[in-house]
Amino acid sequence: MSLEQYSADMKRCIRCSYCKWVILSQIKSWRFARGCPSEAFTKIHTYSASGKMGVSLALLEGRFNYSSEGLLDIAYKCQLCGSCDVACKVCRYFMEPLEMMRELRARLVEEGQLVPEHMFTIDGLRAEDNMMSKTKGERGNWIQGCDVKSLAGEKGPVLFHAGCRLSFDEELSPTARKALEILKKAGVEVGVMGKDETCCGGRAYDLGYRGEFTKYAEHNTEAWRSAGVKTVVTCCSDCYYAFKVLYAKYGLRKNVEVLHVTEFLERLVAEGKIKFARKLPMKVTYHDPCHLGRLAEDYAPWNGKEKKIKGQIVTWEPKRPIRRGANGIYETPRSLLRSIPGIELVEMERTREYAWCCGAAGGAKEAYPDFALWTAKERIEEAQSTGADALVTACPWCERNFLDAVPSSGSNTAIYDIVDLVGQAM
Amino acid sequence: MIDAVSHRKLSQELSKILPSSEQVFDDARSLEEYSKDLSFTPAIRPGCVVRPKTGEEVRSIVGWANQTGTPLVPVSSGPPHFRGDTVPSVGGAVIVDLSGLNRIVRIDRRNKIAIVEPGVTFDQLQPELARAGMVLSMPLLPRRSKSVVTSLLEREPILIPRFQWQLLDPLRFLEVVWGNGDTLRTGEAGAYRPIDADKPIMQLAPFGPVQVDYYRLVSAAQGTMGIVMWAAAKCEVLPTVHEFFFVPSDTLNPLIDLAYKVLRVRFGDELFIMNNANLASVAGEDREEIERLKQELPNWVLVLGIAGRNRLPEERVRFQREDISGMCQDLGLKLLSRVCTVNGTQMEQLLGQCNRETPWKLSGKGGGQDIFFLTTLDRTPEFIEAVSAVSREEKYSTADIGIYLQPTQQGASCHCEFNFPFDPGNSSQRGIVSGLYRRASETLLKHDAFFSRPYGIWADMVYNRDAQTTMTLKKIKGIFDPNNIMNPGRLFWAETAREG
Amino acid sequence: MSLRRDIYQALEDIVGPEYALVDEPFLDSYAFQWGTELFRPNGNKFMPRPEAVLLPGSAGEVQAIARVCNKHKIKYKAFSTGWSVYAAPYTEGQILLDMRRLDRILDIDEKNMFAVIEPNVIGATLQAEAMKVGLNTHIIGSGCVSSPLAAATSFLGHGPDSLFMGQAAENLLAAEWVLPTGDIVRTGSLGAGIGWFCGDGPGPSVRAIIRGGSGARGALGVFTKCAVKLYPWPGPAQLPVEGTIPAYHSPLPPQIKAYTIAFPDWGAYADAHYKIYDAEIGYILHRQYNKLGEDLGPAFFMMYIDPTKTIDDLEEMLERPEIKKLTEEMRVSTQIVLCGMTQGDIAWQERALGEILAETGGWKVAAMSDPMMEKFTLLYLIRLGFKGLNMVFSGGYRGSFSQKGTPDFAVGYRAQAASVLAKHQKTGLIVEAGGDSMMGPGGGMGGGGHIGFEQFCFYDPSDLASINAALDYFEDAAREAKRLGLTSGYEARIFEARLTEQEKRTAFLSAPQPALYRYQRQIKDIFDPNDLGDDQYAVMPKDRKGA
Repeated sequence: MSLEQYSADMKRCIRCSYCKWVILSQIKSWRFARGCPSEAFTKIHTYSASGKMGVSLALLEGRFNYSSEGLLDIAYKCQLCGSCDVACKVCRYFMEPLEMMRELRARLVEEGQLVPEHMFTIDGLRAEDNMMSKTKGERGNWIQGCDVKSLAGEKGPVLFHAGCRLSFDEELSPTARKALEILKKAGVEVGVMGKDETCCGGRAYDLGYRGEFTKYAEHNTEAWRSAGVKTVVTCCSDCYYAFKVLYAKYGLRKNVEVLHVTEFLERLVAEGKIKFARKLPMKVTYHDPCHLGRLAEDYAPWNGKEKKIKGQIVTWEPKRPIRRGANGIYETPRSLLRSIPGIELVEMERTREYAWCCGAAGGAKEAYPDFALWTAKERIEEAQSTGADALVTACPWCERNFLDAVPSSGSNTAIYDIVDLVGQAM
Repeated sequence: MIDAVSHRKLSQELSKILPSSEQVFDDARSLEEYSKDLSFTPAIRPGCVVRPKTGEEVRSIVGWANQTGTPLVPVSSGPPHFRGDTVPSVGGAVIVDLSGLNRIVRIDRRNKIAIVEPGVTFDQLQPELARAGMVLSMPLLPRRSKSVVTSLLEREPILIPRFQWQLLDPLRFLEVVWGNGDTLRTGEAGAYRPIDADKPIMQLAPFGPVQVDYYRLVSAAQGTMGIVMWAAAKCEVLPTVHEFFFVPSDTLNPLIDLAYKVLRVRFGDELFIMNNANLASVAGEDREEIERLKQELPNWVLVLGIAGRNRLPEERVRFQREDISGMCQDLGLKLLSRVCTVNGTQMEQLLGQCNRETPWKLSGKGGGQDIFFLTTLDRTPEFIEAVSAVSREEKYSTADIGIYLQPTQQGASCHCEFNFPFDPGNSSQRGIVSGLYRRASETLLKHDAFFSRPYGIWADMVYNRDAQTTMTLKKIKGIFDPNNIMNPGRLFWAETAREG
Repeated sequence: MSLRRDIYQALEDIVGPEYALVDEPFLDSYAFQWGTELFRPNGNKFMPRPEAVLLPGSAGEVQAIARVCNKHKIKYKAFSTGWSVYAAPYTEGQILLDMRRLDRILDIDEKNMFAVIEPNVIGATLQAEAMKVGLNTHIIGSGCVSSPLAAATSFLGHGPDSLFMGQAAENLLAAEWVLPTGDIVRTGSLGAGIGWFCGDGPGPSVRAIIRGGSGARGALGVFTKCAVKLYPWPGPAQLPVEGTIPAYHSPLPPQIKAYTIAFPDWGAYADAHYKIYDAEIGYILHRQYNKLGEDLGPAFFMMYIDPTKTIDDLEEMLERPEIKKLTEEMRVSTQIVLCGMTQGDIAWQERALGEILAETGGWKVAAMSDPMMEKFTLLYLIRLGFKGLNMVFSGGYRGSFSQKGTPDFAVGYRAQAASVLAKHQKTGLIVEAGGDSMMGPGGGMGGGGHIGFEQFCFYDPSDLASINAALDYFEDAAREAKRLGLTSGYEARIFEARLTEQEKRTAFLSAPQPALYRYQRQIKDIFDPNDLGDDQYAVMPKDRKGA
């Protein structure tokens, strides 16, 4: 797709502002009603999806050019969390505000309009195959001393993909190690790429660097094929989304199942291969990562066209698959938490397909750290309002952003990855 | 004060507009009658009294008044008057007595609308409405000569708060001759002509037309903006079953809580609270009975009517009675069908009355002065305490003070009224009440009473406290009555005619 | 930026640099509006680009902006949520005030049942907070994403719940209003610092010049706070919502019920409304599902509550025999929600409704009482968060014959309105939804009395031929309305794409009382002497003499 191909959507946008809010039917309070972090933080309509529809249409109509002041900020001060997309699709089936916003970024990159902080990150990616601006040689440090098969040289059915964040973030790396240990202990024949692991390419895609994404996607899928991998498991929701959705979208993932670690663990618990020996008496609330939740529905390839019926009703032929968050991974992590003895799970107001973003994605953490932290603090406050002792998530990017935000949030809410709690209870 | 020559000139000129000799009066007795009322408003004699019978005559009078700069004071209700708004505040004014415009223009049962001219009284209208199966919600016991249009325009609180989505209900649309001589139909009557009996009622809303709510400009205006030629009121279905109940209490707060509960579920019909003094004045047939009831009645009584109309009436009354009874029990109160010798049937008859010659407030001692304002129901105890304190200082017996609390706007606000009966033939009593009236009003204002209907001395008090509103209203008045001929000296026009 | 540097600096100094927008992408995002293609020629989606967009953080900042604008004669306009062309500049050189930063619910007075709100409070959040204390708010027809303050002070304001909760103009209590000159007027009890509980008085109301029937739409000053009445809500403190997107639904206690009631003919339909008003039943009364057209609405909503289906399934749905039967059954129908404050109340209301249906030959549509559909209807009508479905077909959606009147009045013009639309639908350039695509409140204002039958035309705003076909229809509809002796309707200002400047200037002459526009000119001359509000506040041109 190109930006031009969304011009009909732009003209059909009615600027109703549903994109700014949590799904309206789900609003439970004034305090936690906003859905779009960009608009909520800036308070400026332009940063909402409908604002960007207007901006993109104006751009296509030549009302200003790609180097216009403010355009980069408008396009990139956004986590691409998809809240707007889901809210819009409650009433407007096939409007695609999220895809449109991604195309806008890709177009800006093509036109050489680059966010300096993103340039730095992408340069690091190109040089070192990771989004953390770290040396690739250090990638395998997190599994040092761990007895695990390397699928860089050997074959194996199950690949554990750590992802850039867990590979290089020393505070969080134990989560990856713990996940691996749990899988091994449960008898799973699991291997890793270790220092040969590369970025999934997902964040590069979101930043508009399609070329980089394609490069890593092709590399990874080839590596999997070579290793005979049938299942890829990851703790990182960003990677999960990239593998499951983006790779499928580009026709690159064939016959490889992608599972989030929570899906795998839930299976193992159900099969009795994971047993909990300890009680964790804790009231927790669960944060749905965008890339595990509303964005993570299966991608079904479709090659159809618009067909108008009854004069002017826009439909699609053949029937077009719709992705609006209905089938994200929501219940699995919750079920897993509820299965841990002692855990009391309470819910925040904004959950599942209408969850508030953690703030880290879309290049926000790299280029707009204040915005990213503000978004996280909003979520921490929401967690605190439930009376929970801890905020649990299933993505290291979420976890990192929450941990970074806690000190200035005034809250003493503990932050955990779900794997950590599973590990503690075993 | 204009002299006899000028009087004659006035009546001569007006006789050209109103050729009938029964329409123009400048005899001493007539002028005296309109020069004062039962309030403490200073008396000023008008120059002439006219009684138009048609809208065309009214327009002509207004046109003439603009040409000559003559003040007009519109009066619709018959005496006695209480508020001072029908008394000229400048000399040489012409009283425009609208009681001769007394047509019931239209009654439409299907749309529950009645359209009446200003001279129509409740006493005249209600029987006609009843024949059509309707009733117009009334204020408390309007006197026989009370004009329906005046009552609506002056925002007299009706007894049934749930029929008031907004303070001006049940007033709908109207036709007004502005002080500048223009005629305007307001609300949705602006687009259609609902007074044409051969045309269906097209629309009903009072808003507009277009981007101004003109009817709000003649509301509580005391005749300072224009003369209303006819007005439409939203009526209700006539009850076929109508029961009244009483909830007595020694203290006020439990009744306030009960009122809020009833308002919250929008049950019941008539709903108000009175103290013993006022309920005695309402229910007592003579002074002796009033005094007796005053002694026997509990300190406070909440009066509640529950009506069943033309559909499942008994069932409606039954379930609401049961539910409200439950609310009473929760508060340690009792829903009774009588209190002392006052029973529900009597109350039903009383509250449907609109034909008393002598207003109920005068029945105790022959005279009385009121103070009323808007507030919220929960604040009324504070005002009661304040008035009691001032009364004691002014040596007026607090036992004589009548208190009437009427929730309005479905409970968003409350009309709070104090009645001070006195013997008008007793100059000492009169003097006490005159002083009390002023002091209590000032005290109440300090406590944030909202004199939304600023009669007499309240006008200066309230407009001095809200300069921006005053300035804005003056500017608006300049559009609709640029020559300030409409009741000059009332409300925010502190000066005489031709104020700049 | 064509604003002089010093003027821009003065404005930026008031709101701060982060809230003063002058870059083209920002300005164009604010010029982009719903329905612009009907308002400007050639399918243009952009209203005139504002000179700047400012986001004030207080009434004081609004005042300061107003003073600068008055000094330099710059037109300005404020909006709350900003949906529709009314919220965009009407002319070049206009400054927009986005009131987004004023978004607080300042107070909910539970006992006296009102709330004090700022402009960017939306119906959904006010409802959510009100329900916590057993209250509810009127939500206008455009849905819960709209601003109750904007509706109460500035624009129309009827909705499905108006039967019980009045229309927005009835709910306005006191308000804080920054006049075009920058002075502040606080209306009613607020003016004397006494509180928010009364919007009228003292004496005649300043409130009179705030809005009338249609509101000034931002063209006569800025409202920074107001109080609106709230209403009883006997349901749970939090609206329970279940289901899979988009087919959410609300399982509410049995004392809250939703029905679709249908009638054998339009006479019975009107009769039933009058009987409903007389009986004082109903919490919500709205002809909602017909909004997508009599031929398509039932099929669409039956499809919608199945979350596995999309618009691509509509064609198949329309062919199903049971849907065809339902479509016929619902041709003369409306939706009603009964809400019993107590068990006795709901039992009584149910009986009353049953009697009314029996007397008028009406019935409850069984398929719409299916539990899932009922729960969906309850959520739909109570929260009114599905209003974007108005645009589900292709995005273009606008009303004609926008009248509110007595049931007899509305039913009286319905057939002609349907006939005109049906004729134009045959071109295939607007959606063939059925001639009767009318939706509107069944109560219209507190206690009932009004039906709104707004006739909707659906078109594709990305297709110029479709836009032009819609404009052809709206022109024809306006002609027919005039022929029937109707007023131009409350949305008449939308369709100006084909009007000449002269036609716009003289439109008032065809009004039943042209003097109104002279009065509004006089009001504007006083309160907006520098003519800084745009022509959304309609006035007789200055060079016009008399009327």
